[in-house]
Amino acid sequence: MKAEVLKGHLDALLLATLTEGPRHGYAIKEALRAGSGGQFDLPTGTVYPALHRLERAGLIRGSWSTVNGRRRRSYQLTAAGRRVLSEERSSWREFAAAVTALLGDSPWPAQA
Amino acid sequence: MSRDQLDPAAGGAVADYLAAVAEQLRGPAADRFLITEELRDGLLEAVEAYQVQGCSAQEAAAAAIAEFGDPRMVAEAFGPELAAVQARRVALGLLVTGPLVGLAWIAAVAANALPPWRHQLTGPWLALPLVGLALAVACPALVLTVAATGRLGRRLGGGLARRPALPPTAAALAGLAAVLADLTLLAILGSQTLASPGSLLWAPVVVAAGASLTRLSLAGRAARRCLATRAALS
Repeated sequence: MKAEVLKGHLDALLLATLTEGPRHGYAIKEALRAGSGGQFDLPTGTVYPALHRLERAGLIRGSWSTVNGRRRRSYQLTAAGRRVLSEERSSWREFAAAVTALLGDSPWPAQA
Repeated sequence: MSRDQLDPAAGGAVADYLAAVAEQLRGPAADRFLITEELRDGLLEAVEAYQVQGCSAQEAAAAAIAEFGDPRMVAEAFGPELAAVQARRVALGLLVTGPLVGLAWIAAVAANALPPWRHQLTGPWLALPLVGLALAVACPALVLTVAATGRLGRRLGGGLARRPALPPTAAALAGLAAVLADLTLLAILGSQTLASPGSLLWAPVVVAAGASLTRLSLAGRAARRCLATRAALS
């Protein structure tokens, strides 16, 4: 699936990959790919700028550590990030329900 | 996998890729260095993942590099972030130093009872409104930069994402306004000194002039860098 399809949803999806705990950039990208059944396979290099943007917005917090002799930056959700993710989830459920009602296989409510 | 354990050819390919990204990044040097460190870790993780799947080190490096994407695209994706970080630092620096430079000049004017202290604008002090003009430009530009590049930026509807050139432009404008203010004050002081040498109490004047000269140099350089970063945005 192309990156353009994700426009407007990438932030929430990245936040969602951090609900189970801190992850580094590549693990976040892999979680996005695996969690979508391979549908969301973005160029890895473009995931990092999005993480920096979320960090600057105060939605995630990055910290450096040393793993296997090299420096690693891991990210975790902040309280503001959890709040925004919760709002995005509610908003998505409403949107998805409305689209499903219109595009689903069952007859339209007006015809029922 | 540490850097030393990686096959030399594969390590060379990873290093070449990172160098290609680094070459095209524009912004503060320290931030560019940290970005390449973070990308290096991610690339080596990807190489390791491909090796676990049965690829040779060189195949794994090639696959990881392909997965990360074109270096130019990666560098361009970082452009708005680096520009925002740079603009924010410049804006905060000007917001902190502005009042200090202002206080130094007020002290110099007060200590010497210069015309503005007597509510008079005469001689070279007629140029003082230029400082007011600079302030009128710099203050909103600084507030805009800080607001757009911080947490408030997201609440403002993500406008920054649509206008990444805004923060470096506003920060550069504020920097140029600071240069205008400092040049004006130094020119007024120079004229005042020529007109009545020996009549000034020098200590506060030297402090004020030194503060302005320092800020003039730093603000000018910061404005140039912000404009260069802005020009590099795609």
